[in-house]
Amino acid sequence: MKTYDIVIVGAGPAGLTAAIYAIRANMSVLVLDRLAPGGQMINTNEIENYTGVGKINGAELSMQMFEHTQELGVEFDYKTIVKIEDNGQTKTLHCEEDDTPIITRTVILATGTTPRTLNAPGEETYTGTGISWCAICDGAQYRDKNVLVIGGGNSAVEESIYLAGITKSLTIVTMFDLTADPKACDQLRAMPDVTVYPYQEILEFTGGEKLEGVRFKSTKEDAVERHVRCDGVFEYIGLQPNTDIFGHLNILDKMGFIAVDDEKKTVVDGIYSAGDVTSKKLRQIVTACSDGAIAANAAAKYVDSLKA
Amino acid sequence: MIQELNTEAYDGMEKSGPMMVEFYSKKCGPCKMLSFVLKAIDKLNPDFKIFTIDFDENQELKERLGVTGFPTMLLMNDGEETNRLKGLQQKPAIIKAIEDIM
Repeated sequence: MKTYDIVIVGAGPAGLTAAIYAIRANMSVLVLDRLAPGGQMINTNEIENYTGVGKINGAELSMQMFEHTQELGVEFDYKTIVKIEDNGQTKTLHCEEDDTPIITRTVILATGTTPRTLNAPGEETYTGTGISWCAICDGAQYRDKNVLVIGGGNSAVEESIYLAGITKSLTIVTMFDLTADPKACDQLRAMPDVTVYPYQEILEFTGGEKLEGVRFKSTKEDAVERHVRCDGVFEYIGLQPNTDIFGHLNILDKMGFIAVDDEKKTVVDGIYSAGDVTSKKLRQIVTACSDGAIAANAAAKYVDSLKA
Repeated sequence: MIQELNTEAYDGMEKSGPMMVEFYSKKCGPCKMLSFVLKAIDKLNPDFKIFTIDFDENQELKERLGVTGFPTMLLMNDGEETNRLKGLQQKPAIIKAIEDIM
């Protein structure tokens, strides 16, 4: 059975950049992703802040990055990793799709993040059938209908601006006040048929067979409770790291992100991490790419030391 | 074979044999990624018919076929729907769904 030098879990910008640096360091490399290359970039319609490319569609940038790895001969496979075993100088990865283990000297975990959920009553019932986390994907079905957005950060406000342009009414309910860039907040507040409820706690998603509304309560002294009827809900309340299966490795910080040093090393020899899944201040494509390069460089040096 | 259709072309065409009808939107990132995946699948199996339909510009057809989001892939045999994949899927999963109707 083949032993890879570096297996990279996650084919977003961090993983794909790690792959490029790894293969150029003459490592045997395998990149795995459970869905498709690109990570969060796939859901981004317009990227304007990736150096050198001006304005580009997220999926297009994803494919450009992916094709770059393919031109260099990086091996790629569609796999969902369910378990990682640390065997010292090797690691064994098990996947959902088949029983064949993947053996490697090092792993770079670049699994990214997933949108947070509220865990409020009714949320699970209406997930995918009334509650969505992607306005670009699902917003069209709510043209001329009533929509509610939960969240007040940059993503919530930007997607609300998009939704307000197509819906009959838009209600924004947020835990604090709107915390997005002031210019975007002003733009949203000025749009017709937009109502913002700050300092609220979501109590329940209501309805029968279909979602009918959202019940929420003010966190201020008045504690006023409201029930807003809506046809659809979009949640933009932050991101959670995709690290559920890494807990046993003791590499996570208090918030569940992967703790790494300056070389993107975790506390386990041979396990590295890069991109949004790591503890960091700024989660952007450029910083993910940088992480990937640093992690691959460190992993390659470690592999060379094993072989010396 | 991948071909773009509108409602008139879809209604007018002969629907014999296995095929895929994929609803997409130009604004949708996962749709764009899926288009790359479908092109790769088309290279592996150029005889399988894949028809793409713009969700935003074919409202009546998407309602008639019960399509509410994008991307949505309808797998059909002789004009009858046999399977439906909603959202971006792994390439092997799409290939398997196609093989199941071939």
